[in-house]
Amino acid sequence: MGRRLDATYNWLDERAALRSLVRKGLYEAVPVRGAWFYTLGSATLVLILLQLVTGIFLTLLYVPSVTEAWASLQFLKQHDVFGSIVRGIHLWSAYILLFVIGLHMVRTFFSGSYKRPRELNWVTGVILFVLVLGMAITGAFLPWDQAAYWTAVVVTNIPAYTPFIGSFVRALWRGGDAMGPITLVRTFGIHVWLLPAILFPLIGVHLALLRKHGEFGSYVNYRGAFRARECVDVPPPPAQRPIEPPYPAVPTDEMWAVPLQTEDFYPYQTFKDGLVSVVLVVVVFVLAVAIGAPLEAIADPSTTSYVPVPEWFFLPLDQLLLLVPQQLIPLILVLPVGGVVLLLGLPFIDRGPERNPFERPAVMVPGAFAVVFVVILTLLGSGRLFNQ
Amino acid sequence: MIGLVAAVAPAVHQLAAQLPPQAPQGNNRIGSQAAIGTLFSIHILLAGLVSGAGELAPAIEFLGYARQRRRYDRLAHGLGRFITLYFSVSSTIAILLITVLLVGFWGHFWSTMLTIAWWPLVIEAATFVLQVSLAYIWYYSWDALRSFKGVHMAIGGLLAVASFLQVYMIDIVASYMLTPTNPQNPLRLALNPTSYPLTVHRTVGNLAYIGFVTAAFCAIRFRRARNPEDKAFYDWAGSFGLLWGVGMTLMQPIVGYSYAKEIQLHAYSAWYKMMFGTLSPVFLWQITLLGLIFIVAVTYFTRRLRTDGAPGAGLLKLATAGLIASTVLAALPYHLNFTYDAVVAAGLDRPFWQGGLINPLGSMIPWKILALIGYSLIAIAAVVWYLRGLPGVVWGTARRGEQRLLVLSAVLTVAMMVTMGFIRENGRAPYLITGQITIEGQQNTQSAHPTPAP
Repeated sequence: MGRRLDATYNWLDERAALRSLVRKGLYEAVPVRGAWFYTLGSATLVLILLQLVTGIFLTLLYVPSVTEAWASLQFLKQHDVFGSIVRGIHLWSAYILLFVIGLHMVRTFFSGSYKRPRELNWVTGVILFVLVLGMAITGAFLPWDQAAYWTAVVVTNIPAYTPFIGSFVRALWRGGDAMGPITLVRTFGIHVWLLPAILFPLIGVHLALLRKHGEFGSYVNYRGAFRARECVDVPPPPAQRPIEPPYPAVPTDEMWAVPLQTEDFYPYQTFKDGLVSVVLVVVVFVLAVAIGAPLEAIADPSTTSYVPVPEWFFLPLDQLLLLVPQQLIPLILVLPVGGVVLLLGLPFIDRGPERNPFERPAVMVPGAFAVVFVVILTLLGSGRLFNQ
Repeated sequence: MIGLVAAVAPAVHQLAAQLPPQAPQGNNRIGSQAAIGTLFSIHILLAGLVSGAGELAPAIEFLGYARQRRRYDRLAHGLGRFITLYFSVSSTIAILLITVLLVGFWGHFWSTMLTIAWWPLVIEAATFVLQVSLAYIWYYSWDALRSFKGVHMAIGGLLAVASFLQVYMIDIVASYMLTPTNPQNPLRLALNPTSYPLTVHRTVGNLAYIGFVTAAFCAIRFRRARNPEDKAFYDWAGSFGLLWGVGMTLMQPIVGYSYAKEIQLHAYSAWYKMMFGTLSPVFLWQITLLGLIFIVAVTYFTRRLRTDGAPGAGLLKLATAGLIASTVLAALPYHLNFTYDAVVAAGLDRPFWQGGLINPLGSMIPWKILALIGYSLIAIAAVVWYLRGLPGVVWGTARRGEQRLLVLSAVLTVAMMVTMGFIRENGRAPYLITGQITIEGQQNTQSAHPTPAP
């Protein structure tokens, strides 16, 4: 048996260069300090894959029609325990994915990992974040229960505030002025085809760029960090590691080029990545079994008493919309768009070589304020919903 | 001495004869309110500092560790010393408040409140013990754990959590008094409509407050310092305290507005009193104070950079001008009379240029909101600009005017704290617990049977 496996492996290696692929994939040099924080990227990937697998399962049963969508999920809930758990996993992994991808972005932002030569890693990461958010928003429409319907009414109305083309975009998404069957079909198409078609190739690009430039890690891993320390001399440049990828991949500031200490991706980083991913998957599974995915009454457009509750990731925006007067709502809706544009432009605005967050006040202060602002709005919003 | 005693004795005897034989519930409402109001204000001003220090000191220690700079350690250690010295003073006032004034003057209210919020108050008492224990361990193990900085910072982290919990527990009680919910459900009690906004508002506020007071303290110490090392330290620490205070305060416009919004949704009469009623002039003073704090802080930033010829002072001047404009906009009154009701009663509910007493530029929507947004955005820009200019500053060279500004910022913050407390407590009137116990009702209800006179 062993000999046959060896022979098969050798046969494949001869034709597909498996050994070299595995060696390149596993023996990358990664910075040592702060390695637990670097697990957020792989955790994001694992959760996206979980979304893909459970999503495929759900498409085998779900019917994207206003008359059948709710019924198909109600059937799942009442008669199919396995399917119900799969739906629960799909929902909870989406929730946790949004949280983890948010943390991953915050970590990258604070560590200055978006700087030369990693600008495109950051840009693709921001686009991936927006796509994941888009997946979550469109996914929320699909059950076509009361919550889904009224979320769809609110969300599809948001583009209408865009100057000049707002009404057109809303009509395009809704399939007319009002919500209807076409809205659901289009949203389903966007959720399962359009967004994933962009998402997965972009993940490939993101990973390829990461592989090319290597994990930056944190400023504490570099010589540049010692410049700001009292009574500590800047250490000499470290020796280059013989394994891939070479640091630096392209000419960059020598102070931030090569980590002072590195270790092999396998087994050190893979252990940490694996552990965090397994813990997250277990948490998702437990939540899926214990709480599951809710399904409210079937959508009733004629009701006037239903109070829609936003998804948790919408809470900051929802709270902000509650706070501002009617006249300023378009201004508030510009905030997310402006925020994404700013994030995309960040590596091109903050171009200085400095990575130490304490020495980058121009981006750190507004960035920290934005993060705290979002956290506070989420807290306040959740408190308000609890008392609704 | 004997002569003095003999002279005073008849007056003391006469006074003793007039004293009530039991707790003075039901009598002297104004006296009871004044006693509680005064002592609570003192308690909150001290407790806010202790609580803020319990959160700020560990954060500074962590910053020092991350930045590898010794002066952070010195500042954190100094704040630890402050906690160990003033925790007991603040606690003594709290105990006096509860055992003597609340039970003695407001017994019915207090026993009701204690019954409703028993669990939060039990946890509050536990967090007191936890906080003081951790504060002492953290402060006195400074040298012993020098080689185990991670352990020491973890203890500091626990101290910060205990300090936060303590504020949160008492905020449950305070917020319940304004927006009561079903007291049978502990979760509803803990998450009553204003408990989150008040907790966030107060936590951020306490952190800002300790920053401003640290700045003022360091300004005074800077003036007294004789050796260059101390001068450099207090100059830096004053600047750090102010930066921290401003950094926290710039979140308050949003947090405070959220709090006001919840009051509007769940305690409309209190909100109306704050915005249009008898408290509206005080509210106007509060929003003006906020602007003044920012103006003073940014003026300090400008002067401090200019003293050493560091870059950025010009732009900070521009920021000061922006803040002055925002403050003027925020300070404009909407109704040019004591209350809006008085304007309506006089039939003058129209713009002043039409002979009325309404100033549309003083309305909350959108003008005061724009002013609040202006406060936050300009303050962020000013902080960024000051931080960018800081590498050009030589610590220890500050001038007297800058130190005065640091002290002024702390004075304004204290005024702000007292004003906010006044508004919140009086917004509820005539209720002690909205819709449940009025001040009158408390006074007319005897929570204990009077002791028969011998």
